[in-house]
Amino acid sequence: MSGLELFGIFFSALLINNILLIRFLALCSFFGVSTGIENSIGMSSAVIFVMTISSAISWGLYNFVLVPFQLEFLRTASFILVIAALVQLEEIYLKKMIPNLYRSMGIYLPLITTNCAILAVAFLAIDYRYSFIASMAYSVGVSAGYSLAIILFAYIRERMALAPIPKWFQGYPIAFVTAALMSLAFLGFTGMFGL
Amino acid sequence: METLLTAVIVLGLMGFVFAALLALASDYFRVEEDPRIAEIMKILPGANCGACGAAGCHDFASKLIAGEKESTGCTVGGQDVACKLSVLMGQANQTVIKKIAAVRCGANENRRIKKAKYDGVKTCAAANLISGGGLACLYGCLGYGDCLCVCPFDAIKMENGLPVIDLKKCTACGKCVTACPRGIISLRPHDFKVVIACSSRDTGAQTRKNCPVGCIACGICAKAVPEVFAVSDNLAAIDYSKTGVDCSAAIQKCPTKCIVEN
Repeated sequence: MSGLELFGIFFSALLINNILLIRFLALCSFFGVSTGIENSIGMSSAVIFVMTISSAISWGLYNFVLVPFQLEFLRTASFILVIAALVQLEEIYLKKMIPNLYRSMGIYLPLITTNCAILAVAFLAIDYRYSFIASMAYSVGVSAGYSLAIILFAYIRERMALAPIPKWFQGYPIAFVTAALMSLAFLGFTGMFGL
Repeated sequence: METLLTAVIVLGLMGFVFAALLALASDYFRVEEDPRIAEIMKILPGANCGACGAAGCHDFASKLIAGEKESTGCTVGGQDVACKLSVLMGQANQTVIKKIAAVRCGANENRRIKKAKYDGVKTCAAANLISGGGLACLYGCLGYGDCLCVCPFDAIKMENGLPVIDLKKCTACGKCVTACPRGIISLRPHDFKVVIACSSRDTGAQTRKNCPVGCIACGICAKAVPEVFAVSDNLAAIDYSKTGVDCSAAIQKCPTKCIVEN
């Protein structure tokens, strides 16, 4: 697989098929955590961290355990198992080895266990029949796209907190409208480089 | 049937391996935390305001155990928390001087003299950068309520363009003190209720031009109650360590009525 193809996978995951704004996955955290820039940066760093590692491990599990035993139908159960165990393991590891990173990630690390984007990336990398390197590029791209979208959205929401908004639009209504407009803007990337 | 069996075995093995891994990891990477930290955290208010100088309540707890902070360090908790903490730490009980925020400006919307109309961003920080927001006095309250926005305890409200501290809610966390771009708000002891409601360091004549209620540094208060009041740098100041002195003579004699009691 050439470097250009890998870049294509990464770029497609980052912008053209952005996990939040085009595929509409992981929307709960998109609206829940984007109230402040600091929160969204914490969440996205945790997502990048967990998504990359969990997709690597689930790729290995699928190709070296489930396929040889012809147990492909078990992938949902086993991937959830992998992600839950992995997040726990990472939490234990970080608490001991890198306490500062653990404290800055705080509540977001355990929250990720239920983030559907993590599971989706593990599934999609297999559906697309990616090689290991390609699935790594894909998961890094998806998590970078997640960070891009949620941090941009947090910036807009911080500005909106100061804007004169009619009372019936305050809070989630205006956030939904904004997310829809951002999603429309991201549609503009469709067809870029023929991806 | 065979598929079912392999499925059960593989999934069961996976669960077992992960469980064993987690059990091993939690033992290998166990963090020994002082059990007192959890107990201190229960006593502390948990506002994470940072008024003590530590980065949140957890940091304060670990610094208290390390001996870097006093049990009286939590201003939000006050005497009550200090008592409990000193019992827990086995230290002698110390009295806390309860503090409260004081606004050292008395010029409300009607009394303010404006040189220009300010039409920019409605925050004190922004207005202060642009020629003092059109206000004649370079020391006075701008009235856009930056202090109100940062107060984590909802203890400040704006009345007629001037912040008013809710004496019951204020915990002296000091957020408003740093938020005010003009440094008008400071902390005073809760029981010493006298405040100089002016921060102007202009000369008396200049202050009189700029504000009807400014301190003109006439020194009458210092003559009336010399134990407490002193004038320096064109501004009267209160020595808050002198408790129990009757200040009513100075309050009554102040010609611009900028010494207030609340």
